[in-house]
Amino acid sequence: MDRVLACARVRVLMEPYVDGELEPAIAAAVRGHLAGCEECRRQHDQAMSLPFRLKALASPPPRETLVAGVMRAVAPTREVAARAWTLLAPEAVLLAFILWYLSGLDGLSSIASGVFDDLQGLAGGTLPAPPQVDVLLLLALIALTAIAGYHLSILIRIAPPGLHNRRHA
Amino acid sequence: MHADTLIDLRAVSGGGMQGLAAGQLVQQATGGDLEAFEELIRRLQRRVYGFAYQHLRDTEEAHDLAQEIFVKLYRNLGRFDVDRPFEPWFWKLAANTTINYRRKRVPLPAEATDEAADESSTFPRHDPALVQALSQLDPSYRLPVLLHYYADLSLEQVARSLNSSVPAIKSRLHRARAQLRNSLAEAEETRGS
Repeated sequence: MDRVLACARVRVLMEPYVDGELEPAIAAAVRGHLAGCEECRRQHDQAMSLPFRLKALASPPPRETLVAGVMRAVAPTREVAARAWTLLAPEAVLLAFILWYLSGLDGLSSIASGVFDDLQGLAGGTLPAPPQVDVLLLLALIALTAIAGYHLSILIRIAPPGLHNRRHA
Repeated sequence: MHADTLIDLRAVSGGGMQGLAAGQLVQQATGGDLEAFEELIRRLQRRVYGFAYQHLRDTEEAHDLAQEIFVKLYRNLGRFDVDRPFEPWFWKLAANTTINYRRKRVPLPAEATDEAADESSTFPRHDPALVQALSQLDPSYRLPVLLHYYADLSLEQVARSLNSSVPAIKSRLHRARAQLRNSLAEAEETRGS
């Protein structure tokens, strides 16, 4: 009975014994038991070889499609990046059109004077005359704002991972 | 252990990304360089797939899990602090992905399972007794065993990866090894009788 208990105790201590983590006196007692117990010695041999066997476990090689699959999964961002660059073209066209339509500084100063007149009208207590809406200019501005907003949302999405949630040490 | 020491460095020769050291690759990939990221996963794929395979024992699922780990790596690269070692951070992410993958795992349809079994059966089984014993191990024990012995992480790194302490991991490893040892002894007895 004593021997059975001793075997059970030794088997509990086997792993720390193999890792050299037992106190010298307990390690010596385990060593003594192993010298006289064939079954525990076999378990000890098993325990000794286990880490090496685990390290030596072989796996089949990964499929050749693994890397390509991952790159495809993150690839939409590549296409979106290309779209982000192409959006610069309509933006540039709209901007050029608006600048041309405003006829340079004369156009800009006429808008500014219109706004100034309206403010004066407000200060004088009378309602400003409704501005003459230039539909073409308005549409161009709306289109430019919409495209720029969409462009911005794309740029946020495709920002390099390093620009998102960077943790500073 | 830093990325430079652990990532497979077999592709050091040659030009382009292949010539870069692992640490540089991680840094470039973190900056959003897709080519660097591709090279990085090329170097990690064998270990990650092997880890997934040893954990799941199914080629189809191991492929899915490895892919999920890498996609998650890409999405989380922005959170990586380049001044810290890459490997523990990466394996923590891999361990978490594995835990969640097991949680949401659903049984495969019969045909798919047969197909996967066919594929893995073509691979010569090395140490079948240990493979069998490992598959019987509780996942909470199998994960630290694979991280420590298979992925080659130190005890500290395994502890960090699994949000645990070194003594707790040590104790889990000891219990896992004792269970493996018992399973192997039982298998031997069965074979002998």
